[in-house]
Amino acid sequence: MSCVYEEDLTAYLDGELAPSRRAEVEAHLPGCADCQHLVALLNHALSVVRTLPEYTPAKNTRAAVLRRVEPGPTWAQVLARALNPGVLMPSLGLAGALALALVVNVAARRSGSEHLDARQLELASNLDMVEDLDVLGLDRFEDLDVVEHLQELEVNP
Amino acid sequence: MDADAELMLRVAAGDTAAFARLFDRYQASVTRFAFRYVGDPARAEELAQDIFVKLFRSAKRYQPTAKFKTFLFRVAANHCLNEVRRGEHRMDSLDERLQSGDAAEPATDGPRPDEALQGQELQGAVMRALGDLSERERAAFLLCRFEGMPYREIAQALEATEAAVKSLIHRATVAVAQKIEALQAGMKSARSES
Repeated sequence: MSCVYEEDLTAYLDGELAPSRRAEVEAHLPGCADCQHLVALLNHALSVVRTLPEYTPAKNTRAAVLRRVEPGPTWAQVLARALNPGVLMPSLGLAGALALALVVNVAARRSGSEHLDARQLELASNLDMVEDLDVLGLDRFEDLDVVEHLQELEVNP
Repeated sequence: MDADAELMLRVAAGDTAAFARLFDRYQASVTRFAFRYVGDPARAEELAQDIFVKLFRSAKRYQPTAKFKTFLFRVAANHCLNEVRRGEHRMDSLDERLQSGDAAEPATDGPRPDEALQGQELQGAVMRALGDLSERERAAFLLCRFEGMPYREIAQALEATEAAVKSLIHRATVAVAQKIEALQAGMKSARSES
């Protein structure tokens, strides 16, 4: 279809043409079979579209949207909540207890390191002694006296 | 200033109750628009959610000189258009959904089964025709035919001239009309053969 009025026909049916153009289309239509056919086709389509079933939106969308736009707390609200005595006092108490525990732990490590070294040396010495007895195949400490006097036994067989 | 514009100004001031009222007024329109734009009910619900959240966040940019509905559908059309352009949703799979019945709107109790079937087929024909349109033709057609917006407001919503909108709506309406005509011609010949 190549009628110059073709592009106007939908707007004509929608009542969107300026009065002068509308008058032109109305004057043109009775003599143009193509335009009459297209107007009939468009009119029928518009009546079908009007009868299409309505879309029913989901009910849970409302709650989902409102949740997404709920404002978060402002800085002032966060600060006010943190300064609430019910929150502040236990928090300060907990922080103080942790700091005290840390200080005590560090002090204990520093003062106890010398004692710890002496104890460790004594333990190592004892372990050496046990290893020596084991190498010599001795079971008792008294047998060490025999070892110490072996030379005398050689001199005085 | 219309009542919606007043509510929108309250939304801009952070009033979520005013936003809830606007949501209740326009949820059906926006979801219907999104559904017919993408042809998928589940995706349409997600899009509608995003559109309303976007509306809330852009409330401060709203000028009460613009009609609220025009502003809302500018947000809606831009969002749907961007989604489709980003490839996050395609109309290609519409035929599959129409065949499985996913894209059909809930049937009402009224019509007889044969009428309901015919209605569903017509709905399918319209949805297929919409899928073949360009994104702007589809948006213009939906705003005109289902939201009842005048060409001038559609032009504002789509940031186009009225002449361009007139052309978009004409091409879209002719395409839909031809699909409906073809479907009904097929139905008639099937009936005469049986």
